[in-house]
Amino acid sequence: MIKAYILILVYVGKLEEVLESLRKIENIRSIAVTAGDYDIITKVSVESLEELLEVTDKIQLSGGIKRTTTSVIEKEIEL
Amino acid sequence: MRIRKKYLFYFLLISSSLIAATTTSIDSIISYFYISNPWVFGVSVFLVGMFITIFLSLLLSVPFRGKSIGSRIDPSFNRVRFLKREELGYHILAGMGNTVNTLGYFYIVSTFVDPSAVLPFFQVVILYLLIVESLSEKDAPTLAEVESSIIVTFGAIMASISLSGEVNVMAMLVIFLIMNPGWVLLAIYQRKLKLMRINEGHNDSINIRLWNVIFTTIFTSAIVLVYNKNYFFEAINAASMYYPWLSLTMGVTFFAYVLYIRALGLGKASISQAVKASTIIFVIPLSLLLSHYMNFSFSAGPTLFIIKIMGITLVVLGVATFALTDVRAYVFINAKGDQSIEDLMERIWHIRGVVAVSALAGKHDVLAKVRIRTLGKGYERVIRRLEGIDGIEKFSWQSVLKEWEEI
Repeated sequence: MIKAYILILVYVGKLEEVLESLRKIENIRSIAVTAGDYDIITKVSVESLEELLEVTDKIQLSGGIKRTTTSVIEKEIEL
Repeated sequence: MRIRKKYLFYFLLISSSLIAATTTSIDSIISYFYISNPWVFGVSVFLVGMFITIFLSLLLSVPFRGKSIGSRIDPSFNRVRFLKREELGYHILAGMGNTVNTLGYFYIVSTFVDPSAVLPFFQVVILYLLIVESLSEKDAPTLAEVESSIIVTFGAIMASISLSGEVNVMAMLVIFLIMNPGWVLLAIYQRKLKLMRINEGHNDSINIRLWNVIFTTIFTSAIVLVYNKNYFFEAINAASMYYPWLSLTMGVTFFAYVLYIRALGLGKASISQAVKASTIIFVIPLSLLLSHYMNFSFSAGPTLFIIKIMGITLVVLGVATFALTDVRAYVFINAKGDQSIEDLMERIWHIRGVVAVSALAGKHDVLAKVRIRTLGKGYERVIRRLEGIDGIEKFSWQSVLKEWEEI
């Protein structure tokens, strides 16, 4: 299992539209709208890097996306 | 389905409260019409409950469209399984907590004519949980949590207290020294079990409930056997005579607990308990209904009515305050060149309010997820602590405005 954060910058006025699209994409485990360097932080769980590329592509093509940055999780500690 | 996590937390607890209110009413019917001795009732309900819980757990293990039926209630559930060695201690403590709490309840019911005059003080358990969490958990209560908990506690007492009964010192001692500590043991160790990682995934609430009922049945039977073995044999007889009613109450209770345990994995025990205090709201119409069939009066005098309305208002306000004062953030961290990332993760993990830490490949080295009650606490507890860590070159704080998580 590969987990990654995909950090997203959105064009102004496109946030709701992007959120609607993201909520339909499989393998996205969480979506957070944030204030700061990024507009949206999503967490993704996939079986392979190829599948991660597919998810990233779907996000890129969902319209209203200015830029994405993918960070694969190497290790995780959580409650 | 992807929904906002805090909505899921409140949905689970309010559903659990509604089911628990129904169970309380079924218990009243059984106690009034069929099994009046509370010790006999206690053992018989657990004896039947153990079988019905095993049956329901096995039923929920049946696969349906690639997943078990139970995974629709708790996605972490796959099938019924044996205990892992690391769970055993927590299960024993949770079982002991449930036994002590239940026997305390039986004692109150059997000794005092009007338990409703003292049982509302059981709600004070929220404050016990706050104290225990402040000593044992990473995320100590904030002033907002303490205030909201007190509002809910006193609201729940006001909404459920009966003005017809006398307050008995002995009953109060049993509640404050036996029942409430028993419930604290149960809530804290069920939460620890839910947060445990089993087979690479989160522990599931269905197996936790199943094993808790098994341990509680063993402990309750043992204590009642020692106290009065005739009661134990009467309980076996009662279990065989009234098993449909006992199965009904324990079957319904099973779902109330499964939802409650799942919620314990999402939020602190004290806050879960405070939201669960909404049971007192749901139980009022059920009590009204039962008062038509059973010989007790559900007083509707103006004083009691006003007090109940005030209590319900306080509970709703307290729960809403919990829901609205939740601040989440992501902190992106870049480490200095000579810093071990694993070591840095460990140090960040020990900061209060940090609920997850991830080592990342890419632009940032570490991502910490923070959950606190106020932004001020974020500065005091998290940012000041991060600034004190040597291996951090820079970090940036991203406040979460809205969040959805897969359930």
